[in-house]
Amino acid sequence: MAALAGPRGERLLAWGLLLPCLAVVCAFAFWPIVYSVVLSLHRIVLSLPGLGAPFVGLENYARLLSEPGARHSAGITLAFVGASTLLEVSLGTLMALALDKSFRGRGLVRAAVLVPWAIPTVVASQMWRFILNDRYGLMNWLVFGGDVGSYQAWLASPGWALGAVILADVWKTSAFAALIVLAGLQTIPRDLYEAAALDGAGPWQRFRHLTLPLVLPALAVALVFRTMDAFRVFDLVYVMTQGGPANATNVLQFYGYKKMFAEGFMGYGSAVSVLVFVMVLAVSLIYLKLVGRRLLRGETA
Amino acid sequence: MALVLPGCGGEAQDPNTIRLVAWKFNNPGLWRRLADQFEQLHPPLKVALEIAPHSSTAYHDLLTQKLKNRSSEVDVFLMDVVWPPEFASAGWALPLDQMLPPGEKERFLPAAVEASSWHGRLYGAPLYVSAGALYYRQDLLEHLRLKPPKTWPQLVSQVKMTLAHQGNQDLAGYVGQFKQYEGLVCNMMEFVWSAGGRALLPGDAGGALSKPRDLKAVRFVRDSLIDNAAPRGVLSYQEPESLEVFAQGGALFMRNWFYAWPILNDPARSKVAGKVGLAPLPRFSGGESASCLGGWLVGLSAFSTKPEKAFKLIKFLASEQVQRRLVLEEGLAPARRALYDDPWVLKAHPHFKKLPPLLATARSRPRTPLYPAVSQGLQVYFHRAISDEDSDLPILADTADIEINRLLGLIKEE
Amino acid sequence: MKRRAWPWALAAGAICALSLAPFAWLVLTSFKSAGQVTAIPPVLWPGGGLELYRSALSRFGLMHFVLNSLLVAGGTTVISLTLGTGAAYALARLDLPGRPWLMGALLLVSMFPQISLAGPIWRMLQSAGLLNTHLGLIIPYVTLTLPLAVWILTSYFSELPRELEEAALLDGCGRLGALVRVVLPLAGPGMFTAAILVFIYAWNEFFFALLIMTRRSVQTLPVGIALFQGQYTMPWGEIAAASTVATVPLVLLVFLFQRRIVSGLSAGAIKG
Repeated sequence: MAALAGPRGERLLAWGLLLPCLAVVCAFAFWPIVYSVVLSLHRIVLSLPGLGAPFVGLENYARLLSEPGARHSAGITLAFVGASTLLEVSLGTLMALALDKSFRGRGLVRAAVLVPWAIPTVVASQMWRFILNDRYGLMNWLVFGGDVGSYQAWLASPGWALGAVILADVWKTSAFAALIVLAGLQTIPRDLYEAAALDGAGPWQRFRHLTLPLVLPALAVALVFRTMDAFRVFDLVYVMTQGGPANATNVLQFYGYKKMFAEGFMGYGSAVSVLVFVMVLAVSLIYLKLVGRRLLRGETA
Repeated sequence: MALVLPGCGGEAQDPNTIRLVAWKFNNPGLWRRLADQFEQLHPPLKVALEIAPHSSTAYHDLLTQKLKNRSSEVDVFLMDVVWPPEFASAGWALPLDQMLPPGEKERFLPAAVEASSWHGRLYGAPLYVSAGALYYRQDLLEHLRLKPPKTWPQLVSQVKMTLAHQGNQDLAGYVGQFKQYEGLVCNMMEFVWSAGGRALLPGDAGGALSKPRDLKAVRFVRDSLIDNAAPRGVLSYQEPESLEVFAQGGALFMRNWFYAWPILNDPARSKVAGKVGLAPLPRFSGGESASCLGGWLVGLSAFSTKPEKAFKLIKFLASEQVQRRLVLEEGLAPARRALYDDPWVLKAHPHFKKLPPLLATARSRPRTPLYPAVSQGLQVYFHRAISDEDSDLPILADTADIEINRLLGLIKEE
Repeated sequence: MKRRAWPWALAAGAICALSLAPFAWLVLTSFKSAGQVTAIPPVLWPGGGLELYRSALSRFGLMHFVLNSLLVAGGTTVISLTLGTGAAYALARLDLPGRPWLMGALLLVSMFPQISLAGPIWRMLQSAGLLNTHLGLIIPYVTLTLPLAVWILTSYFSELPRELEEAALLDGCGRLGALVRVVLPLAGPGMFTAAILVFIYAWNEFFFALLIMTRRSVQTLPVGIALFQGQYTMPWGEIAAASTVATVPLVLLVFLFQRRIVSGLSAGAIKG
């Protein structure tokens, strides 16, 4: 052990402890990303093994730009990401404001809010699929009662299906946004509120000029995390709609999955996956640049 | 691997258990009963059943993922009639020719055998078939002394005459399956074929959607059928929606598969029982009536560890006695020709004597190893073309042809 | 302030109801009889007892999905925490150049979309013969949960007072000895928090499980629940029963350890 003493030994030990973790992450996260990029430059079709894997440069990306299906999926993805994150962060903020007050049983409420977050997404998807069923779903009964004739096939109509998937996502993950905002709220010193109240500021003014600016970093973090997670939506679509009806819920991650694993276009599918990766990366970088400094201040608070 | 659960791999290792991945029947328990019968006939073999998901597409994805993972837990599987080129080309299904006794192939319907073959070899044993047919309201047509239409323009004029005569707001003319999904390809190909078109040139030579005959068929559906002889709602119909409309007396004509007949003639489920006629689909002048072949085949996995035993199960499922059971218990049209003259079959389902002429017009959808992708392209093209009256049809068709040519180019390169 | 508390309590009540009601409906459904499951108007008082659970066990083979899930989630948790603890200690306490970069790189990994990893990982597992094995699924799970574990543990280790280790170092323990004898016993709560979150992730994951586990005998619960098919209709009753079984352990974890989970999530998110 003595040989390990001193700064040099310490550094060796540090790398030794870090190495297994880094090895796993490099081998199964960073290398696959690189490998995806490599695959996306080749033409690989699983049902045509005789084709081999010729290098085709940027052909797959050129197709990605010109293919109407891909553009449609990109649009659907953006609509899903936009609608679900906005709803989740605003609902989450309201929930956080309610949870920030002290009342009896607050711990229980906080746990209850966490339940949708903890439920497996597949279970939540089947649950909503059952509730939204066109003949015996609870939703139809709540909306139309016994008037069976006007029951809606929510998941089978292109107009409703994306809304239904968004609803399921909002239900499941608003709590996560709420918790992050709540953590931000709890860093605000209480005496600031009392001082503001003494100055005669009403509840709205206190929220607008005190709470909002101070909780903004936490809001931004919630937005970043929800946005990046929303880009990765898959389970809900797989179970609830399979990308249908008429591709109305065919988000990019599902589109890429179908291309790669159902139609067997490994190269083109990899190009789709690289596109998803770049979108997520871009969002995270933009947000982090916008809020990075405030974030650091938030951390020290 | 220490992490494999004890006792869980058991079934797979058992050399006498044949794993069958199947598509569900309407009749609960039928698969299990068939499996029981097989087990009695071939001890000590056992059948382990896995029932596949709700839609043919979802089933395709699941099954091909198993085959890509080279899972030895599939020995025998059901294949849609459009899959053999893909399964054969990818090396997932084994050819069955050598295992079949001579002359056996000829006992099946030629269209089903053609669908099971790829490059001259047979990759599936046909289990049951179906085809598109025209259902019509005999009572309403007879009232006007009309015979079922021979051509599509006749169908449109009969719709106009009948609707004008009936003055019934709730009666629609023609219903079919025009939602963007696999069924749309079937419906549209029937129009295209009966105009002398073909969508794809033979021998993977390229797309033919922008050829005059193909364009004529699609233009007819867009301009003369949708929103004219057919309600606009058909653009979102699959089989159940169109059947529901027709069974409630809401339409004069319906395009549907054979399964609709017993339902339409069951007074408990249909208001038009006894008033329905069945005819070949209409054609365009100068073309021939054509219907889309549907149905299922039984295939043998290339990763099966016991192909000889698995083939016994395939032979059993394709046998005359099992196919007779499928007719009697499930009402499915058998793939064996002899059963269409079978006295038991005709006694239980008298309408089966009308099916052979319909099946004679049955054709396979474009046959290519890239069918899932080609079908996607066709679905998008057809749906866009027929749902927008102002679309520039030749341009859409050209774009679709280019996309198909690109896909087929991959095959030629192989 | 006290006077105004009740509207907020009311709002909190509404939030609770909306969060719990849909799931409660599923749990209620799981106790119905087969005929009640799809009745309209809905049956509010279930009369099936454990009928659907028995059916899920016998027809659906629920137990082996549960065992597979336990094995995969358990294995992931153990491996992820073992690797994560070492890494987190190094990052929190030892002199490392480029520490912020390493932390940032790890954070980046937790944001990778599954689809971008799926093709290559699938090919790697295929060539290693690891498709349809528990280890084959544990590998991507460990990869994707390591960042979370490392972040939680790093923030936990940084908060432990340095003096304790220094005392141990003076006693001639060496760094590794200090980690094993002094830090780890104190790090229990942090490790527990990380373990809960990693376990929940692995228990719930679907995408990789769908691609890698195509054999029924090795499939995990989410795959089983997503693909569960009946021969006649959708077996909603059995799906409800299986879903309840899949979720109850998580709900228990949440109610018992909500404070830890919240702090763990904040360590992963807020300080990111």
